[in-house]
Amino acid sequence: MSAEPTAKTTPPPVVQVRDMDFCYGDSKALFDINLKVKYHRVTALIGPSGCGKSTLLRCINRMNDRVPSARVTKGEVLVKGKNIHDADVDLTQLRKQVGMVFQKSNPFPKSIYENVAYGLRIHGEKNKSVLDEAVERSLTHAALWEELKDRLQANALALSGGQQQRLCIARAIATVPDVLLMDEPCSALDPISTLKIEELMHQLAHEFTVVIVTHNMQQAVRVSDYTAFLHLGKLVEFAPTEELFTNPREKLTEAYLRGTFS
Amino acid sequence: MNPVPINDNPFAGDNSGIQQRETAARWALRIGSYIVVIITLAIMLHIFVKGAPVVFRTQWPFVNTQFLTELPATLHVIEDQQGNHIETDVNGADAVKKKLGDNFRAEKTISYSGGGILGPIVGTALLVVVSVGVALFLGVACAIYLSEYARHGKFLEMVRLAILNLAGVPSVVFGLFGLGAFVLTAPRFVDVPAERSVFSIPFGFTTLSFEGWDTCVLSGGFTLAFVILPVIITASEQCLQAVPQGFRETSMALGATRWQTIRYSVLPFATPGILTSSILGIARAAGETAPIMFTAALAFKDKLPWQKDLPPLPADASIFAHWEQSVSRFLGIFTESVQALPYHIYTLAAKIPQNEYAERAQYGSVFVFLVLVASLAASSVLLRKRLRAKYRW
Repeated sequence: MSAEPTAKTTPPPVVQVRDMDFCYGDSKALFDINLKVKYHRVTALIGPSGCGKSTLLRCINRMNDRVPSARVTKGEVLVKGKNIHDADVDLTQLRKQVGMVFQKSNPFPKSIYENVAYGLRIHGEKNKSVLDEAVERSLTHAALWEELKDRLQANALALSGGQQQRLCIARAIATVPDVLLMDEPCSALDPISTLKIEELMHQLAHEFTVVIVTHNMQQAVRVSDYTAFLHLGKLVEFAPTEELFTNPREKLTEAYLRGTFS
Repeated sequence: MNPVPINDNPFAGDNSGIQQRETAARWALRIGSYIVVIITLAIMLHIFVKGAPVVFRTQWPFVNTQFLTELPATLHVIEDQQGNHIETDVNGADAVKKKLGDNFRAEKTISYSGGGILGPIVGTALLVVVSVGVALFLGVACAIYLSEYARHGKFLEMVRLAILNLAGVPSVVFGLFGLGAFVLTAPRFVDVPAERSVFSIPFGFTTLSFEGWDTCVLSGGFTLAFVILPVIITASEQCLQAVPQGFRETSMALGATRWQTIRYSVLPFATPGILTSSILGIARAAGETAPIMFTAALAFKDKLPWQKDLPPLPADASIFAHWEQSVSRFLGIFTESVQALPYHIYTLAAKIPQNEYAERAQYGSVFVFLVLVASLAASSVLLRKRLRAKYRW
């Protein structure tokens, strides 16, 4: 875990959620959420199943827009200081700058190269050398370049599960987003692949601001600088990871960490 | 320790008849299946035995080229005094009669039973091209909209119900619809509107007149397109739904617009299925009789659609010098009425009285038709296999 930056060099929070309520139709999923995600840090969202941690994550790049009845009913979400629900926000630009990696590794059934280049291509990049450079850079970041540089034209589905998930990370960072959202990226992987991705996350934090949803508390301890604990749609506690795990302020947090809800 | 009685079976049945009912049920189901198989095989065998000799020959080139390359013609059967029958066409009849001289006894003519079936084959091919083109465009557009854009709700359910109902409409109703809509009222550009024009919009240099397209390939093709639309829409929608949601989410999360997502991450993977369903649509369109009866098909036509009494293009110039004329002549193919295989079969079968000379054309047509449809179905299976192997997930 990296040390706290000094107050003087602390940049403003990249993602800021203010007093946000979120509803699916008539049922409220998130209550009065306040969260500040620090620049180039890993922030983990933990909590029991159904507590709303994935929903909160998907609020940050407005992926919830795909659910017809889902909407933010109160408060706001600021990314890089801009309210992302403003009318003049272009969703494609927002999502280009807020990348996302999903729980299930889902590479397109195309070549490895095309998978990584996808984001750039849809944003109109046609220059071969720019694409080549971006593919190499992204795969290097995702610790895949050495393994895959000789078979970039192979079908991505031929890769192992862990490689596929790292490819998805490479694909998400190819557009050089400011924020990288990860929704339980290791939950479908074996321990060795999980370890590789956890190592990767430390590296990624040098370049990106990472928000990760995980149901694995040990993972949160291993990879994150800050941790937010959610319970039944409420943000119970948000603190530096070490502090939250060693000395939780809230009873509920303590109970959850001990594995008991008393 | 209790002694175990030797002949005691702890698992004996209770003789309540459950075993007999089980056997009866299995045999009833089995016999039902056998009947289906036997009838199907009987139909196939019957057509093969009667039709194959018409199309195939025992000598080189093994195929009756005349049957496949000539237009239908009237068959003349001339009988001599000895009771021999000589089959010939309208041109050969006089020569045969002259040769026989006093030996001539009687002459019978059987319409459509001579010559070949090139006209119906060409007509069916043209109808299929038009109908599948129209149906694929409309059907895939509709399926994409329903599957990717439309909001789930009452309206969508109603649209789906309407499409399902469309599939249940008897095909003769489509025929009447095509007659009213395409043959009699569809819009076309003309210099002077016909008297029966429903209404016309003058543009000065031309007039858009709702006077219909007449009975022609275009009218028939559009009508057939509506017959196969429900098949294509339903199948395409299923293929689109079968593409994992994750592809769409990932693509959107990378900042793709909805259309980009469909274009690059959904359609490529749904195409194999859509093509397969469209080939089955072709088979359906090729086989329908009622929709083309009033809209495109003629019982008999002595010319192919491109054989018209037009002055030939000047021989000195290349085709490009007269491209406008060439194009309009090409498009003219689609404004001709044609013969079609299913309607030809109907015409032959409806001939009364039936006789031995009509059988040749009847079974020959049916056999050719079945072979065409079977090869379409087979190619759809092959295509699906190949594309599935390419786009797996």
